[in-house]
Amino acid sequence: MSSSPRPARNAIEPVPARSATDGTTLLEVRDLTVAYGPKVAVDGVSFEIRRSEIFGLLGPNGAGKTTTLSAIEGLRRPRAGAVLLNGVDIVRQPALAKAQMGVQLQSTGFQSELTVRQVARLYAGLYGVALSDQDLDGALADIGLGRELDRTTRQISGGQQQRLSLFVALIHHPTILLLDEPTTGLDPQSRRYLWTRIERVRADGGSILLTTHSMEEAQSVCDRVAIIDHGRVLAIDTPRNLVDQHRDDPLVRAAARGEITLEDVFIGLTGSEIRD
Amino acid sequence: MTSTTAATTVEAPSLETMLGALLRADLVVLTKNRMRMLLSLMLPLIILTSTSSSKATRSFGGAEFILGLAITAGIAGTSIMGYAPMVARDRESGVFQRLRVSPAPTWAVMGSRLSVQMVSNFVIALAVLVLGDNIHHLSLSIESYVLVLLVSILASAVFLSVAQALVGLVKSADTVQAFGRLLYIGLVIVGLFGASGGLGGFWDTVSKWTPVGVLMTVFAGVVGVGTFDSRDWLSLLACGGYVVVLTTLGIYFFRFDSQQEDNPMNTST
Repeated sequence: MSSSPRPARNAIEPVPARSATDGTTLLEVRDLTVAYGPKVAVDGVSFEIRRSEIFGLLGPNGAGKTTTLSAIEGLRRPRAGAVLLNGVDIVRQPALAKAQMGVQLQSTGFQSELTVRQVARLYAGLYGVALSDQDLDGALADIGLGRELDRTTRQISGGQQQRLSLFVALIHHPTILLLDEPTTGLDPQSRRYLWTRIERVRADGGSILLTTHSMEEAQSVCDRVAIIDHGRVLAIDTPRNLVDQHRDDPLVRAAARGEITLEDVFIGLTGSEIRD
Repeated sequence: MTSTTAATTVEAPSLETMLGALLRADLVVLTKNRMRMLLSLMLPLIILTSTSSSKATRSFGGAEFILGLAITAGIAGTSIMGYAPMVARDRESGVFQRLRVSPAPTWAVMGSRLSVQMVSNFVIALAVLVLGDNIHHLSLSIESYVLVLLVSILASAVFLSVAQALVGLVKSADTVQAFGRLLYIGLVIVGLFGASGGLGGFWDTVSKWTPVGVLMTVFAGVVGVGTFDSRDWLSLLACGGYVVVLTTLGIYFFRFDSQQEDNPMNTST
């Protein structure tokens, strides 16, 4: 086992202040099973997300994170199990459930012919948000897109597209924000902007479910995390508790290069082989 | 603006609001692609002008068939080379998935697109009809105009179902574009040669029952009002058959995510 010291953990900033949740369940995922034909990608996954909680879904490539998220978002019909948001079943009442969700997918996905203002107007309409042109332009200016209002989405930068995507995800004041690998490819300024927005969502009583490959990020910002692999939940708890519980696990100790971290627990539980 | 509150009572937006937003956005996209629409008029215009002499008109079975071929070519062009590649491109870039996580039902997302495309096809049909009437001195009655425009809606349904089947069966946007061009050229050539009798015997018969062939027959039938015979009715029936079969294929195999590889029965909400 190597004992070389790890670099200082300073990649994640600002770190949202941990706030106590009120303990009530907002999202319940119960025995969720999702299959692609004969291949079962998510196999009986269950977890709950509380109000004002940041919950991280962690797993190696192909573990079933995005598929789980897709089922919660209503993009994939589960083979079995249920997803309940505020008691609303995503399969039985998709429109009502989706009206409470804000979603940022891995790709921004806007029609390239539409301008920034037209995209915002489209999604305001889809979520039934009545906004005057002045209010809409002002809100877009607030996120630094004031000069880009009449530019098409193909004419703005990747960072601006990400900001527009987050704006659209939050346009209807959702009770839960679902983020699929939100910081992948972001520069430090954009990452900071994202965490500021997330903090504001939580401060206003909203919850956040995110997937990430960054263990530092998860350890820094998530109240609780679930580690999943091969479509099954391996562990759910706070990052600190997970580290404490697995501190003496030989596989975790073998993965550690110094102080035990969430990444060591993750590798200890999911293995060190590289996934495609 | 972006503050979030944990709502206790949430209502889904009304369908009219969501459909209105989708239609407005799709109309904007259509108007920004007006050059594509103008290009779709080029081939019909070439067909109409190059066959304006009486000899050429006769060799294609009459001005009614030429008008039918021109309208069919216009609608086929904007459907197969306009709608299909755009749907494939938006699927590949995640536009549909983004729309589908909103409260709008999936049928509304696709219905809005198809409605706007129908409007585009209708405009093209009307333009070709007016041009054809003038170039070939048909002096069509109002009744004929109405009937031709009604058949152009059927033609739109036929070629949009062809386009839907294309994006259902082919995943890659580049392949959809390449295959669409080949399909369009093939259909128009078969229609042209079929009408002129240049293919001979068996292939003439085949060409008359292709989507282009049957639509040309129906168009010719309604332009000469009162002469709608049994072959015209059979052609009309064949159009309906094409729509049913191709739409079924297009919906059954269509995936909103081009990366998705699974059982076609496992459709999402």
